[in-house]
Amino acid sequence: MHLEKIPFVGTLLAAGADDTVFDILLLLGPLVIVLITILGRTSLTVLLAVAYTSVFVGYIAYKSMATTESKT
Amino acid sequence: MANRLGTIARDLGRMLEALAGLILVSVLIPLVWREWWVVPGMVLSGILPLLVGVGLSRTFQDAEDPGRLHGMMIAASGWFFVAVFGSVPFLLIAWTAQLDPGVLNVPVRFTTTGTEAYSTLAAFQNPLNGFFESMSGFTGTGLTMSVHEDVLPHTLQWWRSFIEWVGGVGVIVLTTAILARPGSGSLTLYESEARSEKIHPSIVSTVRTIWWIFLLFTFFSILVLWLAGMPMWDAINHAMTGLATGGFSITDNSIATYDSVAIDFALIPIMILGSIAFPIHYLILRGDLRNLYRDLQTRWGFIFFGLGTLILTALLFDQGFYQTEAIVVAGIVLQGQAATLFQTFRFALFQFVSAASCTGFQTAGSLGPGWSPQAQLTVTFGMVVGAAAGSTVGGIKLIRLLTLAKGTLFRIRGVFYPASAVRTFRLNGRALSTEEAAQEFEEAAIITFLWVLFLGLGAFVLMLSVPMGPDGFTLENVLFEVASAQGNVGLSSGITGPGMPTITKVMFLFNMWIGRLEIIPVLVLLRSIFVSMEVYE
Repeated sequence: MHLEKIPFVGTLLAAGADDTVFDILLLLGPLVIVLITILGRTSLTVLLAVAYTSVFVGYIAYKSMATTESKT
Repeated sequence: MANRLGTIARDLGRMLEALAGLILVSVLIPLVWREWWVVPGMVLSGILPLLVGVGLSRTFQDAEDPGRLHGMMIAASGWFFVAVFGSVPFLLIAWTAQLDPGVLNVPVRFTTTGTEAYSTLAAFQNPLNGFFESMSGFTGTGLTMSVHEDVLPHTLQWWRSFIEWVGGVGVIVLTTAILARPGSGSLTLYESEARSEKIHPSIVSTVRTIWWIFLLFTFFSILVLWLAGMPMWDAINHAMTGLATGGFSITDNSIATYDSVAIDFALIPIMILGSIAFPIHYLILRGDLRNLYRDLQTRWGFIFFGLGTLILTALLFDQGFYQTEAIVVAGIVLQGQAATLFQTFRFALFQFVSAASCTGFQTAGSLGPGWSPQAQLTVTFGMVVGAAAGSTVGGIKLIRLLTLAKGTLFRIRGVFYPASAVRTFRLNGRALSTEEAAQEFEEAAIITFLWVLFLGLGAFVLMLSVPMGPDGFTLENVLFEVASAQGNVGLSSGITGPGMPTITKVMFLFNMWIGRLEIIPVLVLLRSIFVSMEVYE
């Protein structure tokens, strides 16, 4: 599927790093923020924010290791 | 001349159209916060640049593509007029509160003389104060005319953060991303906005990727700050202004308001993210983390932050400024000297990263009269140098300082070689010929010279216009404030405020404007205006 064809955000997604995980994080970001705004600070929302930030940082580290291994 | 004006007017119109879009999108904020009384002011503020923008871009739609001269004039005039039109929301909302039309139900706190909310908002009835705030926002400076930011309407809090967020990446970058125009014109404009780095061969693709990265980092930063303990509204605003290295806050005492170790340390990586060049971010997101130390600017950025923090910690610890009896950090109780050292390190790290990344968030309440002159000048040096070119920071930029340092060594070493020796100047992994090296060195030297020249001019004007001496400000306060304005930082030694003299405001407006565009485009614009007015032949 061509990313450009997705309504509203297609052009932006197509400009990214050609990576589905980052594109998903980009799309989920505002939804997570709105959800937290509505629900407030609860165990669930804290868990959600921790999950989001952990996936972001963890995926960069994983991708870096995978790239380094493939080059060696 | 007519052709030149047509090209400038057309592209200026496009920038105003983009600005109108930003203002009209921001109408969502008063709807969410139920600040109905600001809606008419915001809508009118959006319609005004929309009409002017559409008028200019349609009238001159067939104008030629911009050349280098046009590009610089468009960038300089565009940033000026975007700041002018961007000040209209401040003006109209302040006057709405002042006139208090019964039908709009303006909250009493904004209409009652003597309240903090009234006096803070009333400052923007003066168009110069609104223009100052807008220029400070778009240029990512963060010096403010608001006395109590926490009592401003949420819409204006958002507008201040939003313009810093957009301005951090660049108004032209935004315009190019939205109103894409393939061809050489976009590249010329892009380069005139103090940017030269390219992620992709196409400039339109490059700017869209920059926005992709910026949005992703913004969402991440918001959630990090929220997890550190900020309320969500605060996290949204501070993530935007921190990542854009702008430094506007929605609280009265900037980040010091929270007095939270967790928030301080959460903001440091966000400010550092904003001070790394976008192409490096792109490579990192593609899995190449080695660029954090391979890239000359990024590597030296970390070294610069580290060295500056150590020096500042030593100076403040020696001064004994942050004497602390005990502090709890992550469940561990620190006492006596250990507590003092931790607190000193905490404030020194935050303030140096805030200064060198040109963010301007403040946690140390006594940057002005309290800190020793040596400590203030260390922070001033950080503000003057800045961090990586191609990021959101201001200042001279690390790459230019490194070029000057390496170039000077290259020249000195050259004396020890025979005149016929073929030598290569290496910079950031590139081997430059003598001509290329001379060009890089010349560009760095010119920008640095102009930077110091206007720093001196600003300091001179400030010393003539603000009280100096035992009951007033010191020379280091003045240098600190001007470096902060011109470096688009926003830290204040206490000089900036709505009550400062008009000439000082005008000088700071000029400093912020030239600082954001790296001076030359503004000088080119001014020269063109003077020539066309036949001020000189």
